[in-house]
Amino acid sequence: MTAVLERPATSSRSSRSKARRKRSFATAFFLAPMVLVFACFSWWPIIKSALLAFQQTNLVDPAQFVALENFSNLFADPLLGIAVRNTIWFTALALIFGFPVPVFLAVVMSELRRGGGLFRVLVYLPVAVPPVVAVLLWKWFYNADYGLFNSVLGVKLPWLQDTNWAMPSLVLEATWAGAGGTVLIYIAALTAVPNELYEAAESDGASIWRRIWHITLPQLRGVLLLMLLLQIIGTFQVFTEPFVMTDGGPEDSTVTVLLLIYRYAFVYGDYGMAAALSVLLAVVLGVLSAVYLRATRTWSAS
Amino acid sequence: MKATLAKGTAGLLLLAAAACGADAKSGDGKIEITVSGMPPSTQAASQKDFLKYVAEFEKANPNIKLKPTDAQYDVKTFAARLAAGQLETVFRVPLTDPQALLKRRQIADITGEMNSVQHGSDFDKRILAPATGPDGKIYGLPTEAYAAGLVYNRKLFDEAGLDPDKPPTTWDEVRKDAKIIAEKTGVPGFGMHSTTNTGGWMLTTLTYAFGGRMEKPEGDRQVVAFQEGPTLQALSLLKAMRWEDDSMGAQQLRNQDDLLRDFAGGKVAMMMGAPNLFSSFKTKFGGDAEIYGQAALPLGPGGGTLLGGTVAVVSPKATPEQRAAAVKWIDYYYLRPKYDPAPASERTKKKAADNLPAGVPQLPFYDEAISGPVIQAERADSNVPLKNFDSYVTTVGKQEFVVEPPVAGQELYAALDSVVQAVLTRKDADPATELKAAAEKVTPILDRSQR
Repeated sequence: MTAVLERPATSSRSSRSKARRKRSFATAFFLAPMVLVFACFSWWPIIKSALLAFQQTNLVDPAQFVALENFSNLFADPLLGIAVRNTIWFTALALIFGFPVPVFLAVVMSELRRGGGLFRVLVYLPVAVPPVVAVLLWKWFYNADYGLFNSVLGVKLPWLQDTNWAMPSLVLEATWAGAGGTVLIYIAALTAVPNELYEAAESDGASIWRRIWHITLPQLRGVLLLMLLLQIIGTFQVFTEPFVMTDGGPEDSTVTVLLLIYRYAFVYGDYGMAAALSVLLAVVLGVLSAVYLRATRTWSAS
Repeated sequence: MKATLAKGTAGLLLLAAAACGADAKSGDGKIEITVSGMPPSTQAASQKDFLKYVAEFEKANPNIKLKPTDAQYDVKTFAARLAAGQLETVFRVPLTDPQALLKRRQIADITGEMNSVQHGSDFDKRILAPATGPDGKIYGLPTEAYAAGLVYNRKLFDEAGLDPDKPPTTWDEVRKDAKIIAEKTGVPGFGMHSTTNTGGWMLTTLTYAFGGRMEKPEGDRQVVAFQEGPTLQALSLLKAMRWEDDSMGAQQLRNQDDLLRDFAGGKVAMMMGAPNLFSSFKTKFGGDAEIYGQAALPLGPGGGTLLGGTVAVVSPKATPEQRAAAVKWIDYYYLRPKYDPAPASERTKKKAADNLPAGVPQLPFYDEAISGPVIQAERADSNVPLKNFDSYVTTVGKQEFVVEPPVAGQELYAALDSVVQAVLTRKDADPATELKAAAEKVTPILDRSQR
């Protein structure tokens, strides 16, 4: 947003100050509704919830500042460590399985000479299904007694009913549900790769794998790195899948950080503790993003 | 120029903040209260009936103005609505919630208003207990009361060669029948709740049935009691049914709704539950009323059953005048059909006219002299197959009713969800070890809540 604001400022530096002031007034005027909406529904709640992390409130009486008590209660909860571990596990699995799949699909689909449109629709379709509906549907697929997967595959897998299987099962669903949007972004990025590069490689006798490895992936680098970061941030906040499918079970094996926040706030009515964990999550994600962007700045720029 | 913009933005932010935090203020001569619980417009007869009571109440109490809403209590929106001042003056919560709400002071103390309630001193103390604070003060009035029992599929009983009119009366019989049903019909004979805290909730019920408690007083505080015999006995029973008898199926991780959906679809033959499940069974999951069988909870020596139901409570933001008006309305609308046969009969008829289950057996709020005629009136206009509830109705009156664990109930239930899940999904899970781990989770929470 700041980038958008600054651009007219630099371009109009040479013009007279009166016109400048007029224009800045106009900018502020047109910006006002947006700022108001953001302030009311985004920034103000953010400030309030950051404050709430240091308070105890029942939402009736005035909130009381309790310094770091919410945080000390939080760190005393044995579930916190489990939730963090589970969330990292989900993120890792989603990276290993969920990250390459859209890249692969996009590359294959951009190579197709016919039927590309159909495949694009098919791949994007899961994104059009409301998340809760998709998750409920998969919950039925996974049913250990009557589920689609077990009857189609003719096996008796536990899917969600086992501490080791539950998390990979959630990742499978999340990958299916989320891949479509990412695929479209990759396909769009692929169209920007100059054809001459492929032609040159082809005339040098490069195989398809070499072309992908040496041309496609390097050309996609910027998009890949951005999508990786977005995916890490997104998967750290996984909620719908464990909330609807497993409620954190079996034996807390799918309790994620966001599910824990939900429980603190809405099941136990401890809003301060929920806010404290939310603030911690935001800080961790912020630091993670900063480190990531710093580390990858040189790669994506070159 | 950037400074101008920044100043403008800051000003707008302040403005927005003021707009966000603005409070609604109302005021005229009458005492205005909002009352939730109006049936939605899909239930035309019941809604018309509700509005008729509203009009009559306003006529009888000219200084009170009622604003009915069809909002239902939802734990997910409760906090936001309370904070925003949108919570109704009168709303109803399930019996699992008043203790936590009154501890957080999110519902009003109505002890002072109790003398305006007719038959206020005739209440069965067991029914008032769930909304009575540790200080003896009253924070809510019951509107429905049930005792947990055993729900069973009469058709599957029949198919397995069991007598649907003779449901099991001991847990050994439950286990035996579940095994027979699983073997004969291929349908899991027994289903157990295990998620969204219903696992802990029903393990509590099962513990009560075996004569135990989840928390016990030690000095002036409550401590964990579920590491003793009865809970272990309950878990061992589940473990044996799941792994030795293979009579519980492989699909677990279900909450009450999931389980009831499977039950209504004939995919589970027995589950623990109170008669109020019949409504969802029929209207939400399209179950066939004839297959629904309701038995009392089988009890071991010294056992009791868990009390359930709904409680009408008053917003903590209500003024004393609003509080008095609210209690008056609760008495007029919710309690009168419990001690006056005429409105009881009328309410039942209207529900039946909307094709809703009407006259499902409940626990009486008062002694036989007051409640007897009301129950007779409800039965006369009922549209549910009452004979399928017979074994429940004849037994439940003699049972002991036990309330939810008094301190941090939901936290305790959450920890026990994991225990139930362990026993149901992992063959080598040891109940005693799992309970020890749960006790380690719950003890610091109990300590913190009683500081």
